Amino acid sequence: MRKAFSDTLVRVAKEDPKVVFLTGDLGFQVFDEFIQAFPDRYVNVGVAEAQLINTAVGLALEGWRPIVYSIAPFATARPFEQIRFGVAYHNLPVMVVGAGGGFTYAKAGVTHHAADDLALMGTLPGMSLVTPGGPDELRELMPQMLKLTGPSYLRVGKFGEPEIGHQSRIRLGKARKLLDGEKVAVITSGDIVCDIYPRLKERQGKGLHPALYHFHTVKPFDRTTLEEISARFPLAIVVEESIPQGGLYQEICRWKAETDSRLRIVRRGAPDAFVLGNPTRDELRGRIGVDGEAIMALLSELDEVHQ
Amino acid sequence: MLKSREELKGIAGTVRATCVKMAYNARESHLSSSLSCVEILTALFGGYLNYCDGARSAKGERDRFILSKGHGCSTLYAAMAAFDVITKDTLLSYGKTDGALQNHPCKHLLPELEISSGSLGHGLGIAAGILLGLRLEGNHKSRAAVVLSDGECNEGSVWEAAMFAASQKLGNLLAIVDHNGSQAVGRSDVLMGFTSLEEKFRSFGWNAVSVEGNDLDALLDALQRFSGDGKPSAIIANTVGGAGVSFMEKDQVWFYRTPSRDDLDRALAEIGAEPLC
Repeated sequence: MRKAFSDTLVRVAKEDPKVVFLTGDLGFQVFDEFIQAFPDRYVNVGVAEAQLINTAVGLALEGWRPIVYSIAPFATARPFEQIRFGVAYHNLPVMVVGAGGGFTYAKAGVTHHAADDLALMGTLPGMSLVTPGGPDELRELMPQMLKLTGPSYLRVGKFGEPEIGHQSRIRLGKARKLLDGEKVAVITSGDIVCDIYPRLKERQGKGLHPALYHFHTVKPFDRTTLEEISARFPLAIVVEESIPQGGLYQEICRWKAETDSRLRIVRRGAPDAFVLGNPTRDELRGRIGVDGEAIMALLSELDEVHQ
Repeated sequence: MLKSREELKGIAGTVRATCVKMAYNARESHLSSSLSCVEILTALFGGYLNYCDGARSAKGERDRFILSKGHGCSTLYAAMAAFDVITKDTLLSYGKTDGALQNHPCKHLLPELEISSGSLGHGLGIAAGILLGLRLEGNHKSRAAVVLSDGECNEGSVWEAAMFAASQKLGNLLAIVDHNGSQAVGRSDVLMGFTSLEEKFRSFGWNAVSVEGNDLDALLDALQRFSGDGKPSAIIANTVGGAGVSFMEKDQVWFYRTPSRDDLDRALAEIGAEPLC
């Protein structure tokens, strides 16, 4: 997805002469093509995330379209107040990009974990939250984000995630139905869908086969699709590589609290806790039960109960 | 139209009287922080910035001004009215619910501002971003001036901004620190370990001078000193909290207290100028 990001960055900068790219001293060799094509519109602010955001604020006030890049915790938690004050309060069209969202940098430890990035950014009025499932979604969503008149947050994973490969339209703010099914709807956000989608596809026609809905946009939240899910399914399994606050699960719970829906919700996601011990990302995903294998095990349990 | 120094001194008196009256009208505090920067804002608006010549210049060409120490905003509002950026009637909305002039400046309600303020440590970095944006579009003429408090210089983000501005050679950036020596609770020299702000800025690659910050002539002279050598410039304006009203000077309670009718009358008599509201 990181490659899709740097490629799309070059593309949008060609289309929009107002795009400026700012990095907090990260992305070694990742943006060489951009730097070569647009040397004036590339700024390495240094390891100075407060200034990274405030530079973007100043640029946006003068009509530029800043895209700000750092590792997710240093793009969100570190300069949170700069984003709240300069970007969100003034509703400026600054795109904050958090590379390595969720547990992409699991092995690097708690300092580099970003299961709280969506929660933090989601508290800010007017902030759109976008967490693509694969490179194909990123390529479509990023140009759409640049059309927004207010701020946005883009969670980008690592290098090498597979394409989702589904042919449905990719529209900002609109969830995608990747698989139809019965009795259960699995609901995902972020690149965890890469692991779940192929496994659910294999399961089609074998016992309990759930539908799969993917919410690449968490805010504004697509309540229309959730209403559709609630009308068709008694049970939803929500899978997110995020803490319980502020992400997909919270949006679904909030919607449920405000409606008469009887949808039963089971959550698989990061705990409200720091994850210690430097597990690999795969180990960590298994540990918290969000990987494809864990979801398949959960479905098998449900299958047995059902029978 | 450029004003003479004598005219500007008269305007400084008007701005000072207006600040005290606004605090009285709105029952608002932070008066000592407002009074300390009266000469700074008068010098900037009247003798430096291409900002307010009757109406504001066209957006692209005007200089940019940010009061980063947003709690001193009554001086900003009074100066904006004194230099016809806003109407004198607007001053009556100070501190009023939904009024244009909030207790900390809000750009949504007062679009004449470049940016809101109130949270410390943002103005300098944002001004640097503004100048970068202007340079990208080929505007090398417009300048940006930022007024900070000395307490605000406790914020690390100020020094991130200082580093960035020097590295980007933003020679059109001017920072004026209202060095009145007091913060909300403590003394700024104690909290900064008795170190020099002027030397700090210089060590970050800036031009820097210290002046008597309640002396309009000294400020106007300092504003003429900076040459276009590509370095950003800082003026450490050594001021007095509550300057110009003897019973408010250097008395920290006037960071919090609002003037009574008697305080107002005594202050106006001392200042010897009529408020604008």
